[in-house]
Amino acid sequence: MNEIIQEQTGLITVPDFGGGEGIQMQGLDAAYVMILIDGQPLFGRSAGTLDLTRISVNNIEKIEIIKGASSCLYGSEALAGVLNIITKKPKITERLKGDINYKLASFGTHEASTSLQYGKKKIGVEFFGNYLSTNGYNLSESYFLQTVEPYYDLSIQPKIKINFSDKINLSLNSRISSQKQDYKSEIGANKYAGDSKIDEWNNSLLLNQAVSDKFKLMYDLYITHYKSKEYLNDSNHQLFEESDYNQWFYRPEIRSQYKIGRNAFIMGIGLNYETLDRTYFEKKATLNSEYIFGQAEWFLKEKWNILLGFRYDKHHQYQSQFSPKIGINYKWNDNLSLKTSVGYGYKAPDLRQLFFDFTNSSVGYTVLGYNVAEEKLALLQSQGQILFSNNIDFSDPLKPESSINFNFGGYYKKNKLSFDYNLFYNAIENLIDTKIIAQKANGQNVFSYFNINKIFTYGLEFNATYKINSDLSISGGYQYLIAKDQNIVDQIERGEIFARDPATLSSFRLKPGDYFGLYNRSNHTANIKINYSIPSIKTSINARVFYRSKYGIFDSNSNNILDQHDGFVKGYFVSNLTLSKDFKYGITLQAGANNLFNYTDRNNISNLPGIQFFTRLQYQF
Amino acid sequence: MFNLSFFKSILLLLVVALATSCSKDEPIIPEELETETYSNLYAPQTGGQGQPVGGAFTKFSFSRDAVVTDDSWDIAFRGTTILVNGGAAVGIADEPTRTGTGAASMLTSTLEDVVKVPEVSTFKQDGPNTYAIPTGSGNGWYNYDGATNIVSAIAGKIFVVKTHDGKYAKMEIISYYENAPASPDATSPSKYYTFKYVYQPEGTSF
Repeated sequence: MNEIIQEQTGLITVPDFGGGEGIQMQGLDAAYVMILIDGQPLFGRSAGTLDLTRISVNNIEKIEIIKGASSCLYGSEALAGVLNIITKKPKITERLKGDINYKLASFGTHEASTSLQYGKKKIGVEFFGNYLSTNGYNLSESYFLQTVEPYYDLSIQPKIKINFSDKINLSLNSRISSQKQDYKSEIGANKYAGDSKIDEWNNSLLLNQAVSDKFKLMYDLYITHYKSKEYLNDSNHQLFEESDYNQWFYRPEIRSQYKIGRNAFIMGIGLNYETLDRTYFEKKATLNSEYIFGQAEWFLKEKWNILLGFRYDKHHQYQSQFSPKIGINYKWNDNLSLKTSVGYGYKAPDLRQLFFDFTNSSVGYTVLGYNVAEEKLALLQSQGQILFSNNIDFSDPLKPESSINFNFGGYYKKNKLSFDYNLFYNAIENLIDTKIIAQKANGQNVFSYFNINKIFTYGLEFNATYKINSDLSISGGYQYLIAKDQNIVDQIERGEIFARDPATLSSFRLKPGDYFGLYNRSNHTANIKINYSIPSIKTSINARVFYRSKYGIFDSNSNNILDQHDGFVKGYFVSNLTLSKDFKYGITLQAGANNLFNYTDRNNISNLPGIQFFTRLQYQF
Repeated sequence: MFNLSFFKSILLLLVVALATSCSKDEPIIPEELETETYSNLYAPQTGGQGQPVGGAFTKFSFSRDAVVTDDSWDIAFRGTTILVNGGAAVGIADEPTRTGTGAASMLTSTLEDVVKVPEVSTFKQDGPNTYAIPTGSGNGWYNYDGATNIVSAIAGKIFVVKTHDGKYAKMEIISYYENAPASPDATSPSKYYTFKYVYQPEGTSF
């Protein structure tokens, strides 16, 4: 999954704690990208990131990527954009169809999967199963801890579709997934080992009703359960630490669609009910909200088309949100069309930011969620644990992080060439960060979450495809990106930020041009893909090169920001190659290598193992 | 032509004025103040790690360029906490008694660019629950990174310290780690202060 993403222009996979990966979109963090499977949101974010390696790929039909704020349709989280993974749908085939795959790859990776389709009269069934196990890999010098520890993952996806009549059909989709990974930790000279287990269950029930040719109704119920548990034992096999995470989400929704000619209107209502019970929460936390959304798309004359959308979320635990969006398309001629849009996006404070009650056992600091901070602080005070409090007022609710997004793009296609471009700008405010609210008698601080930062990102994205002939095509993409913190830009402007040369230890004032921007952002990313097929021998070759320019991941000159005088992660290329050959009886053999030139940077790039060879055998029937 | 000669005469007047003012100030030729670097001032503490913090503060005198044990101290260190010898007790364990008129003013600049003692109103003394030199990550002289557990001295945080006997010193803290390594890590011995300072025994300019 992560490899597919990385090859898309403007999507960058960034490493997360424990070897997982998230997606950066238009310069915004993985926490702001909503990930859907068949239109339903995935849960279980660890520190904001949904680990992409958790999603098995073999039954993906296509991936829809919406870049830019899309809360007008999807609500909270869709601030940077939306990634919708569409899996194969059941078809009524009257005959059992399917495939069996087996993949063997470096790092002791085995993956077996099957997908089966069968249907009779009104009922269609699809089943997908995937088993993956890997030894992980190690870029560090440690013999005890690996960069990515071994894990296995088992997922099944049964789907049923029933056509009651031409007008009414019902789909039931499930996804059941279970993952277990070794979990280790080293604190000083002590070594701890255990494991980390994730169980996930997504269930969606969708009833489609065509009231008339023009008017359709959809009744949608989505329920998901995400549960994880991890523990560490000390060297004497005594339990040292364990934590639990247990999340439920329910969403009933009704949508209607009305069409007059090419003009379409969508209207929907629904409610969200979410509970989370986890270690470091005093009690089970609940979030609930009701929402209504609408969208109108209509055509003015031949060339103009306007899209208007809105969504209103009535939240009970934080500020309610109104998210509008407007988009305009202009079709110049058959070859060229232009589009522009302005939209609002937001991300609600997560349950940790509202309800956390955590005291670090080894250092002694405390982190409290905003909604419980006042009460918990009073408790600590009555226990005599507080030296002094900064007397912060918690009466106004914590605001969601919000953004305004502008896109201005175009699409051109003629003969063998097609290209598209998009200029984007995002202004994000009320980003949530921690701030000290009190000092404890043990000298440590008590933190809570507040709306603090303001950032902006802007850039240009460009994609082009050129079909040389029916057997050979080349495509490429490029993104230019600037992502900065507004407060830091202002502070440098006022001459308030300095850097200290780590060698001479003398400090100097930064100039406006010295600010590089946010951590983990590259100014330039690019990709090139070549597809070549040789029909006479039923073989195809697919080569992909991905480039990322330099970026910084930490401050090295004592000012907590990334400036031109800091150390950077060097720009790099990753090349992937796949050869594929079809044989008789529906057999396909694939072989190739990811990271062909074995590029690694063990200190800085934890999600890039060395060269990985793979081979895959597929049997289709 | 007129303009040029006018300019010349102004210039001449200026030179004369400067020359006369120079001759007036002649008796006081300010002594070149030296920038000192004090390395590895060790400021241990007991407790921490969730336990109550305690232990004696390490006291420092700017005029003597040394750690002292008597009441002639100007600032005192323990862990990341710094006290001044002026005001009243903050209310933490094992605090030294304030015997002087010390205070501190926090500026954002470079050490060289601070050429004058800032306004009196910017100076703060220690007192119940308040510190002249603010504590906490990002508030005063350091940032603390919770992920790496590294305390880094913020570049460009200058403290003008009023000493126990009413003189001034300007100071920038450089490092919290032994021998001021360029990039300290979790294994670097901590609580070893390195700081640069300029002590002004008389007057209010540096």
